[in-house]
Amino acid sequence: MKKRVPMVLSVALMAGLLSACSTGQGGQTGSEGGGESSDGVTTIEFWAAPNPTQQAFWQEMADAYEAQNGKVKINVSAIKESPTSEASIQAALAAKSAPTMSENINRGFAAQLASSQALVPLDTLEGFDEIVQGRSMTQTIEPWTFADGHQYVLPIYSNPMLFGWRLDIIRDLGYSEPPQTYGEILELTKKLKAKHGDKKYLWAKPDLADPTAWKRWFDFYMLYDAASGGNKFIEGDAFTGDEKAGVEVLSFVDDLRKEKGLLARQVTDPFENGTGVFTDVGPWTFTTWAEKYPNLKYNETYALTMPPVPDGMDPADSKTFADTKGLVVYASATKEQQAAAIDFIQWVYGDANNDAAWFEKTNLPPARDDLSTNESFQAVLDKSPQLKPYAENVPNAVPPMDNAKYNDLQTIIGTEAFNKVVKGEIAPAEGWAAMKAALEKALD
Amino acid sequence: MDQRNNKLGWLFASPYLIYSLLFFFIPLIWSIFLSVTDWDLIAPTFNVVGFENFLEALRSPSVHAAFWNTYKFMMIFVPLVTALAIGVAVLVHGLPRFKGLFLIGFFLPYLSSGVVSALIVKGLLSYTSPVNEFLRGIGLDINWLGSPLSALFVVGLILAWKFTGYYALILTSGLESIDKEVYEAAAIDGVKDGQRFWRITLPLLYPSLYTTLILGFGVTFGIFTEVYQLTGGGPGNATNTWQMEIFKQAFSNMQVGYASAVALLASVATFISIFAIRKILEIWGKRNGWV
Amino acid sequence: MVGSKRRSGSRRAIRYLLALALLLVMVYPYLYMVLSSFADWTQIDKQLLPTKFTTKSYEWLFSGGEAGVTRPWLNAFLNSVVVSAASTALMMLFGIMVAYALSKLNFFGRHAINNFVLFHMFFPAIILLVPTFLIIQRAGLYDTYLGLIVPKAVSLWAIFMYTNFFKAVPSTFIEAAKLDGASDLKIMFRIMLPMSKSITTVIFLFLLMERWTELLWDMIAVKSDSMLTLNVLLSQMFGPYGSYPGPLYAASTILTLPIIVLFLIFSKKFQEGMQFSLK
Repeated sequence: MKKRVPMVLSVALMAGLLSACSTGQGGQTGSEGGGESSDGVTTIEFWAAPNPTQQAFWQEMADAYEAQNGKVKINVSAIKESPTSEASIQAALAAKSAPTMSENINRGFAAQLASSQALVPLDTLEGFDEIVQGRSMTQTIEPWTFADGHQYVLPIYSNPMLFGWRLDIIRDLGYSEPPQTYGEILELTKKLKAKHGDKKYLWAKPDLADPTAWKRWFDFYMLYDAASGGNKFIEGDAFTGDEKAGVEVLSFVDDLRKEKGLLARQVTDPFENGTGVFTDVGPWTFTTWAEKYPNLKYNETYALTMPPVPDGMDPADSKTFADTKGLVVYASATKEQQAAAIDFIQWVYGDANNDAAWFEKTNLPPARDDLSTNESFQAVLDKSPQLKPYAENVPNAVPPMDNAKYNDLQTIIGTEAFNKVVKGEIAPAEGWAAMKAALEKALD
Repeated sequence: MDQRNNKLGWLFASPYLIYSLLFFFIPLIWSIFLSVTDWDLIAPTFNVVGFENFLEALRSPSVHAAFWNTYKFMMIFVPLVTALAIGVAVLVHGLPRFKGLFLIGFFLPYLSSGVVSALIVKGLLSYTSPVNEFLRGIGLDINWLGSPLSALFVVGLILAWKFTGYYALILTSGLESIDKEVYEAAAIDGVKDGQRFWRITLPLLYPSLYTTLILGFGVTFGIFTEVYQLTGGGPGNATNTWQMEIFKQAFSNMQVGYASAVALLASVATFISIFAIRKILEIWGKRNGWV
Repeated sequence: MVGSKRRSGSRRAIRYLLALALLLVMVYPYLYMVLSSFADWTQIDKQLLPTKFTTKSYEWLFSGGEAGVTRPWLNAFLNSVVVSAASTALMMLFGIMVAYALSKLNFFGRHAINNFVLFHMFFPAIILLVPTFLIIQRAGLYDTYLGLIVPKAVSLWAIFMYTNFFKAVPSTFIEAAKLDGASDLKIMFRIMLPMSKSITTVIFLFLLMERWTELLWDMIAVKSDSMLTLNVLLSQMFGPYGSYPGPLYAASTILTLPIIVLFLIFSKKFQEGMQFSLK
């Protein structure tokens, strides 16, 4: 009897194999055979950002839309991050299995996709103008126009990034409100280190030493946009950086490093746990805070400010980086799918309450012209006062570059200048010069 | 060698033959072709660019890093895992009872996924972890994953943790095959306890040691998961590996042509290195008269 | 005489203590993982041995926390089971078939194939990664179970191990069986396989474990959420769940424990097999 065991086992495994094959193929026809099926139902694939709240919003929208439109089925799933959501989309395009539409697309990536003709120019689709009008986003969408005059992306949100301060900790150091200039911050850092030694840092964040392209949006660009008064850094194919402002930013970071104010190490939630007292804060963090760090209360334990500015500049003139992303429709989708996609978008954005629901759920300010005037959003802002500074600073935020090579270019900012300054491997002015040379070579 | 055996032999071997056609010969030729193009995974046509990819790869700092890091990982991982495995094997071999139970226990780390060990190591080495709090308490402030040498060391240590028990198991069966009488004879010949390991155990252990060393060297050419999960090849390129570089270029930057050129270089480097290492080990064994 | 016995007794005790201490160090990471997955969230990564326990991490993992969107953990686990089981079964089956031909069937070209298997085994596989992906994609297997299984359906190592083992089985057994009218299939599964039970356990466990923890291929061969294996899903959640190490430890435990339990069940046969395969 005993001798039978391996046989039984392999038979069991074979059974597993057979079922595996059949389900595998079933799954394939389900996803790839999109478009029109025999019963006249159009299936569209919607890829949502790999952020649970955004995914939840789109799932709800899809369910509500399906309830009203029996002819369309919308499959919402999260974009895989392997290694980034951009790479997953490219891999899917390469494998000819792109979705009908996806969100989470920044300008640079859209430029890259548009240049390989993977996107539908939205303005050529029927109903697009109605969407822009109906959502009152005529002004907001204006700067999104591409060089060829088309609109490839419908911006969903525009989020001015702010810095957070641990009020409770800096109060102990004798501050009633956060400092706003480089000099004041350095002084605070000295006091902080004198009191807490290696228990506390000004800015604790592993990403500071990480060259990954998008991480520069949340450190270098925020400071640079403030110091340069909103300089574009790279316009089209030309480097237009403001050297004075750039060196000032790098010197500020260098000074913080010299005071041991930076901690670029692997550490879980440093700001939340008080290892750092200053950090970039996006509104998506508030959901996590509500769940995991209820001790963090707006204007009690933490404050939100625009990025600090160099000494001698008026903090009121500060600018910041606009984390702004949108929705695209892929050229590989069938005409029916594209039409259904536009109809779905029109349905979602035809009602300001849906944008209000988005704002409430994701905390990301919708990309609209009437954010501070439309009543639908007032309720959300009243309920979550920490979102107010974001809504107010939408006009002070600079969107990212629309260069198709943005990934390489932003990596250079890290590897040549920012990361090196954080680690004390290069002097600020030299870092800027090396970065400028590398950027100009890459743009060539 | 009759007709029937011929037919049957090819029939039974056919799964492998088909497999090697589909997943060895075709990919190999395809890869060589891609390496002279600038294909980006999406473009409908292939542009032949000649040896440009190779020239670019040979100039690329991250390719240099991948090349050298393989040998750096080797210098850390192989001695570490060999010493640990010999230690475990000798220790367990001397136990009169529960030998098997111990060996099974030491083998368990081999079953771990690199993703899981990376998570655990991230937790244990986080700035505010008890380990680092303690080290700072005694004046040691180590930026584990942020400085090149310690990042290499951490990855090497994870791998050593994973493979020690496996290699120890191989070495134990080598030790089992050594007769007790050999030791007794040696004792009569006046071999001291301290010399026993070098003069008797090591030579007799050589065949199984050879196996573990080849396995260990082989591991360093295929490092991916731990690095991908833990450092992404950083800081800088300090822990970049061949697999990491090819993955990044092909599936993150979509430079498939270039990635194929890098893969070809990686294969050549690996092939030559493994060949050289085997020769060195064999010469080492012969010179000492162990083979 | 008595003195030396006592000395060797205490030496033995020290040996056991040393071995036990070393073993604890080696299995500690697993212990840390399991304890952290059940630990109170204030203690995770703050204590080497957590002391306050809760099942919150597991509940959070399957409920998605505040946002209420769950990642497909259960589905990913099933995918891992299906893919690993199918891949391993095929690798074993083809390993036995090919090895039987290479060791016991005296056919034309056997020598060449035998040598080629060795060459193939030591050939750096990394060069094949990109075109293998392209082949799977062109064959329409991208994002399917078959795309995960087929490129991992043959193991050179399994062929090599079985060939060497089968060579050691005396041919007289086979001749005798053939005289009794047994077919080659029958010989393979009724004689060769039962004789190689312990080595089969070894091969099975190694193949299964390697397939279960595969990351690189499973990551690139699949795009949709519903096709992810558990290892890949866990790997992808490092970023998004960065603030929630507890659920990540819980998922790690779910990934690791089954393979350990399976190994422990087979451990006795595994050890026998290891002893044999190394001789």
